[in-house]
Amino acid sequence: MGSMFWRILWKLLGASRGRLALALVALSCGAAITSALLNVNLDAERKLTQEFRTLGANVVVAPASTGSDAALADAAVMDRIAALGDPRIAAAAPYLYMAVSIPTNSGTQPVILAGTWFDQVAKMNSWWKLEGSWVASREDRMHCLAGRTAARQLGLAPGSHIDLRSGDHNVALTVTGIVTTGGSEDDQIFTSLAVAQELANLPGQVSLVQISVAGTSSEIQAVTHRLTDALPGLEVHPVRQIAAAEGSILGRIRGMLFWTIALILTLSALGVLASMAALAMERSRDVGLMKALGGPVPRIMRLFLTEAGVLGVLGGAIGFAVGIVLARWIGGRVFGVAISPRLELFPVTVVLTVAVALAGALPLRLLGRVRPAEILRGE
Amino acid sequence: MFFRIVSDSFARKPRRKVLMAAALALGMAVATATLEVALDVGDRLAREFRSLGANLLVTPAADTLPLEIGGMDYRPVDTGAYLPESDLGKLKTIFWRNNIVGFAPFLDVPVQIAPGSQPGTGRGIERVVLIGTWYSHSVEVPDGSKFVTGVSATDPWWHVDGRWFSDNADECLVGAGLARRLGLHPGSMLTVRAGDQVHTLAVTGIVSTGGREDDAIIAPLRVAQDLAGRPGRYRRLLVSALTKPADTFSERDPATMTPVEYDRWYCSPYISSISHQMQQELPGTEVRAIRQVAEGEGRILTRVGSLMWLVTIAALFAAALAVGATSATTVLERRSEIGLMKALGASQRAVGAFFLAEQLLLALVGGVAGYAIGLVLARTLGIGIFGIAPAFRLILFPIVLILAAAVALLGSLAPLRHASRVDPAPVLRGE
Amino acid sequence: MTPLVQVRQLEKRFGAICALDHVSFDVEAGEWIAIMGPSGSGKTTLINILGGLDHVTSGQVMVDGLEIGQLGERELTRYRSDKIGFVFQQFHLVPYLTALENVMLAQYFHSITDEKDAAEALRRVGLGDRLEHLPAHLSGGEQQRVAIARALINHPKLILADEPTGNLDEANEAVILNLFRELHSSGHTILVVTHSQAIGNLADRRLELEHGRLARISVPSLAKK
Repeated sequence: MGSMFWRILWKLLGASRGRLALALVALSCGAAITSALLNVNLDAERKLTQEFRTLGANVVVAPASTGSDAALADAAVMDRIAALGDPRIAAAAPYLYMAVSIPTNSGTQPVILAGTWFDQVAKMNSWWKLEGSWVASREDRMHCLAGRTAARQLGLAPGSHIDLRSGDHNVALTVTGIVTTGGSEDDQIFTSLAVAQELANLPGQVSLVQISVAGTSSEIQAVTHRLTDALPGLEVHPVRQIAAAEGSILGRIRGMLFWTIALILTLSALGVLASMAALAMERSRDVGLMKALGGPVPRIMRLFLTEAGVLGVLGGAIGFAVGIVLARWIGGRVFGVAISPRLELFPVTVVLTVAVALAGALPLRLLGRVRPAEILRGE
Repeated sequence: MFFRIVSDSFARKPRRKVLMAAALALGMAVATATLEVALDVGDRLAREFRSLGANLLVTPAADTLPLEIGGMDYRPVDTGAYLPESDLGKLKTIFWRNNIVGFAPFLDVPVQIAPGSQPGTGRGIERVVLIGTWYSHSVEVPDGSKFVTGVSATDPWWHVDGRWFSDNADECLVGAGLARRLGLHPGSMLTVRAGDQVHTLAVTGIVSTGGREDDAIIAPLRVAQDLAGRPGRYRRLLVSALTKPADTFSERDPATMTPVEYDRWYCSPYISSISHQMQQELPGTEVRAIRQVAEGEGRILTRVGSLMWLVTIAALFAAALAVGATSATTVLERRSEIGLMKALGASQRAVGAFFLAEQLLLALVGGVAGYAIGLVLARTLGIGIFGIAPAFRLILFPIVLILAAAVALLGSLAPLRHASRVDPAPVLRGE
Repeated sequence: MTPLVQVRQLEKRFGAICALDHVSFDVEAGEWIAIMGPSGSGKTTLINILGGLDHVTSGQVMVDGLEIGQLGERELTRYRSDKIGFVFQQFHLVPYLTALENVMLAQYFHSITDEKDAAEALRRVGLGDRLEHLPAHLSGGEQQRVAIARALINHPKLILADEPTGNLDEANEAVILNLFRELHSSGHTILVVTHSQAIGNLADRRLELEHGRLARISVPSLAKK
């Protein structure tokens, strides 16, 4: 293209800085909105899926029902689940349920005891309201949690001591916290799995495993299939209540975000288009003059389209940077966690911005057909 | 004279004005649509979340501790407390009665499946739980109206192969696991026994929920009451209510509130205030929020709500951008006009006032058009996404007009400042 | 030898308005022609058509053996950069390019740029010390001299000037006139649209237009000598 091309371009960019700055601001704003919203849109679904995990387990593994009272599974099932190493499995908690009796002033009170892994339960059930503190480790054999109703009936509070009996086994534990869930957990006592297995005299056995799977309903389906294959003899079924609602709600939120964002992007593209068209109109006299001096139309167009393109690249890059900051801020505001910037959006943003900038400069193409005399005479 | 200039300016160069008004209308349309959707999204999603199942549980206050493992209550039928079914209509008389989407009473009875009613299996007596409830039952409300509710309203996610039972017939559903074990299918007959009560039920469908119902028999509440010998009684009530996401205020103990705070709390559809009102209507009960549902719902609603507000802000920003860019174009194109006005002795202020008046007039036109287009857009979006058009909100109209004016003024401020500083001489020379 | 410019029955209409009404004349190479007449008589239109900036409605315009009416858009562009040097009343310099770059721009559109050549052209019009000035920092006369240097840089066959002194004071007008006189004596063919009697008197011939018609062709007394 020759040095003269770049020399003119350089002067062109240096001249009318205010006008160019205005166009650049418009381009950057458009690009910032684009990259921020695309970033948020890409991340929102993942974040919301995680949010749905606060609803608790969505897959349950249990022995195939046989009709006898309590079918049990080997605790080795936990190892096999862990061996899958599936990143979509957010948490898995084994449960062993049994009835125990607790001595009270007026005889004994039967109550359901659930042995489990506290670390996994805490991960899965962030909706449990706890008064007092969690039992820290899954190995803890000294402490337990009590459901709210059970605690009231037994007169328990954090710090109370209780005796649990089952057959000729018994164990003395300290209550560290009272759990409120609004569900059947309110009626139960929670200990570590090992304590329950010992009391029930069922070493290495569990009643069921609750699993929290992060992902869309099709991903949950996929994980369910993997688990079914990996755990022969056990039934793996999604908790329909949660899986169904999650799918439909996520679908609607996704639709809503997608369409509103599409609208906004169209709007900002139009805004940018208008400001680029303004710039192009500014250049119409230059185009006319250059044509009059015998400048070939393609050469003149190349000059002004390059100008628009350079502006587009600059605006896209600035906008992308601003957009990342915006997306981080939005992520912080909405999800409490910053949204991780998607670098793959950088080329997308820049290409979109350049495309819009060039589209905005297209009126110049029309000027190419106009007689230079008209442009020079006009105004 | 001032108005004459303004009106002349509109008449003379309609193309630019149309462009400006179109940009404003477009911007305001998008803003209106997103505002409409954002205002509606809470209600819509809250309703959507009701498909997740009940969020309130009512149990007798003086009950004994349930001994439930895998859905099987090991308490004998004669221990524990029961609640009267006849009180249920009162739920639709509380302050937030319209937020009660549905409720379903439950009575669990341990039953034996009589031998002979198990085709194809030679096994002995099977002990299972029979869950009595309503599918779609008409409840008398004290104000004389009727309210049809049941599991169909509280747990629409139950998956039934076949059809639901009819509340007045001797019919039942069988859980998928139990049906497989016993070889039952829709059309089978099943005889159940509890104590000396025997009922023969026609199986109308196979239910799968992924929960305890999969190993149980679901039958009309009346059947369960007969079997248990507790006519007109139930043990658990699940209520599905539209609620406002909990915040720190709603978590406070109502006893510690000032009267003003108490009124505010009582008149907000927090889950805590609704359960409080229900407890007042149903004496002897304890109403608890099912935290699994309520918490998750609240968190997601809050997130989506704030997300939508941010998207709305982005929409307004984009509208300002579009309008600003367009108005910058028109003002720049009119530098010579401004130069001439100034050369003829117009003060900076007069030029500014002239353009502001023009912008405001455009904002009015663009705002009205944008509001109308936005309503159509919001309808399309609402029907497309939620199947229901958003509620028509007249209050948005003045808001959109004010927004249009603000955006038009803000958008033209920078180019106007620039233009009003124009030195008339070079402009008139044509440079 | 055929004349450099041959105009036959040239007609130009803008809608219903007839800007040029069957105008015919010849211009010999090396001739200096002044085109005169009241405003709206079609002078600028004539210059624009000769310069390939506007299309004819009917008639024939031959310049240096090229029939302008038959040229396509691309050939017209080539024609303008090869054969024509323009000088406008409004100067029409690119405001963000220096004097030197404005001249180089014409070189760029024509073939290749040669900075030394461009500087030399500016020196010839007396602007050797103004090479790096932007048009805004030059006086009207200086701007017009840049425009003349730009018009000459590609050695055009025909120099077309539309009211070159219309925006200038008398002192600057004199400078420009001297330049044109030098151009003429060095053999350039010049067509000047002007109101100025001074220029009209210096030209070899005067074409006088009235309402789009060629009213008369006269030879000024100065030229007769």
